[in-house]
Amino acid sequence: MNVPAARPLVEVQDVSKRFTPHVSIGERIAAMLGSPVETRTVHAVDNVSFAIRKGEVLGLVGESGCGKSTLGRVVAGIHPPSEGRASIEGVAVMGEGRTPLKTTTRIQMVFQDPFASLDPRVRIGDTIGEGPLAHGLVAKADVQAYVARWLTAVGLPAEAAGRFPHQFSGGQRQRVAIARALAMQPDVLVCDEPVASLDVSIQAQIINLFLKLRRELDLTMLFISHDLGVVRHICDRVAIMYLGRIVELGAAADIFERPRHPYTRALLDSVPKLVTASDELVTFKPIQGELPSPLSPPPGCHFHLRCPHARERCRVEVPRLEGDPQPAACHYPLAP
Amino acid sequence: MSALLEVRGLTTHFDTRGGVLKAVEDVSFEVGEGEIVGLVGESGSGKSVTGFSILGLVDAPGRIVSGSVRFAGRELVGLGHGALRSMRGREMAMVFQDPSATLNPVLTVGQQMRLAIAAHERVGEAAATARCVEALTIVGIPDAARRLENYPHQFSGGMRQRVAIAIALLNRPKLIICDEPTTALDVSIQAQILTEMKSLAARLGTAMIWISHDLATVSSVASRLLVMYAGRIIEAGPVASVLRSPRHPYTRGLLNSLPSMARPGQDLVQIPGSMPSLANLPEGCSFRPRCPKAQEDCKVMPALTGDGARAFRCRHPLDREVAA
Repeated sequence: MNVPAARPLVEVQDVSKRFTPHVSIGERIAAMLGSPVETRTVHAVDNVSFAIRKGEVLGLVGESGCGKSTLGRVVAGIHPPSEGRASIEGVAVMGEGRTPLKTTTRIQMVFQDPFASLDPRVRIGDTIGEGPLAHGLVAKADVQAYVARWLTAVGLPAEAAGRFPHQFSGGQRQRVAIARALAMQPDVLVCDEPVASLDVSIQAQIINLFLKLRRELDLTMLFISHDLGVVRHICDRVAIMYLGRIVELGAAADIFERPRHPYTRALLDSVPKLVTASDELVTFKPIQGELPSPLSPPPGCHFHLRCPHARERCRVEVPRLEGDPQPAACHYPLAP
Repeated sequence: MSALLEVRGLTTHFDTRGGVLKAVEDVSFEVGEGEIVGLVGESGSGKSVTGFSILGLVDAPGRIVSGSVRFAGRELVGLGHGALRSMRGREMAMVFQDPSATLNPVLTVGQQMRLAIAAHERVGEAAATARCVEALTIVGIPDAARRLENYPHQFSGGMRQRVAIAIALLNRPKLIICDEPTTALDVSIQAQILTEMKSLAARLGTAMIWISHDLATVSSVASRLLVMYAGRIIEAGPVASVLRSPRHPYTRGLLNSLPSMARPGQDLVQIPGSMPSLANLPEGCSFRPRCPKAQEDCKVMPALTGDGARAFRCRHPLDREVAA
């Protein structure tokens, strides 16, 4: 769709993110006295690397708990990574130190729930204008016209600026959230399930809005979703995540037509399809079992417990994400 | 197939300060024994309120204004609380979207399952436990006897929904109303539950009303489809036939807005505008302001008219499918 630039715009290198629950004073004293205190660390993201070229839309797909939202937040500079780094044109998204801060406004985020992501007591014109004002993207005198421009860009009337979030429907609120992100004039948009909470007909409107913005603004996007149909529709490339790791990465058409990783195959087989022939027999091939807990992921390949092709090696050795142009983290990838 | 459930002219309104919300208007349909009927629509289309109305679960300010719900030959509208209560859970049950909100977090799964049995009949402890174990096993929960001692938080989301389904099955109801039972679940778990529900319906002869906004999900479980818009059924018929050649412009619009209906990267065909407020419905056909085929005579509400196995509420329907 776009001519790829030489150097990727966004680079994510060996990023891991672990969450360790807060240990209370009592527990700390108990630990000092020699009692075994369980520290339960969640490995939300486990050594993930990928790159996004300018103008490209990369889909990040996986089931709940696979770490896709956490990874998105690391890329957007909301969570500092435990290891590794996310950068935009070579500049790290997060600073260093004990309480690292985001260093750039070039990456902005759109969240899933537009009912939770907008302040109910702030007029949406102020919500959209606050960031650009604070960062000097617009002078105070011009902010009204600036907000109006972005409202129009997302298909809302300019007078909407004076209204509060509750005066809008879900789809309109998501447009406001997108306008807020775009008003910062980012190069990269991280979208976390931006259409998941919308009705089908509204979802179509927002998907069309993304397609239009992409054409007009040459936006680069990390598009996080569990909905394979939506991802296939708007993404150039797709990364499939399972339990904190990327298990397969490739062009959208290839991932959907010729998956190499058994998990990708199984995921595709689980999606219900529209039945339009009366004699069509609907059969799923559900994946056996459930997602293991990220508190204690299985050794070796994380998918081996549910994989129909698992062998001895899969239980001990972690597969690397290998292969070109469609790398898959599998010792025995599927034949194309 | 004799009709197990017969809904005729069901109308449910909510009296609010902002006016009367016409959530369900003149809804009529039947469910045969062992049949799975899909009820689809967007938020606010009245699909859930239809389910609640059938079970007599509409509370003030909502009320059933008119219509009849006949279940196994018995009229349910106007039945007292006690009579409805003794019927719910035994002859008709409901499975909701969010299992973490429907299960009691401070009781073990076994305790709440035994309560569900005790609400309807006197059963000895051993017999009750046996039934609980059986129900959990049917829905695919391994090691059921031990799991009875667990609390809901010790189950995963998919397993919790299985428990909710097991509770619905406990008293072997003739009809289960499933309100978006797989919407909150991941696709791989959804596929497992869909497969199991279908085989359960076939094996136990349980009829189901499957309420969902997801056409693909409904089409993979149901045999007949009812499409709702702004409180009314606007199209009905066998699933495959409705989805292959919808007659109502709204059904067509809904199908067209699915990403699977367009080539990747192409703009989706969207329905202009949004759903009207239920307190302030447009005159005549509710879909008129958004409809590409609307004409002057659409200002009078069209009736649900039949055409063979199909029915639709439109004066200017899309062409019937050309015989294949």
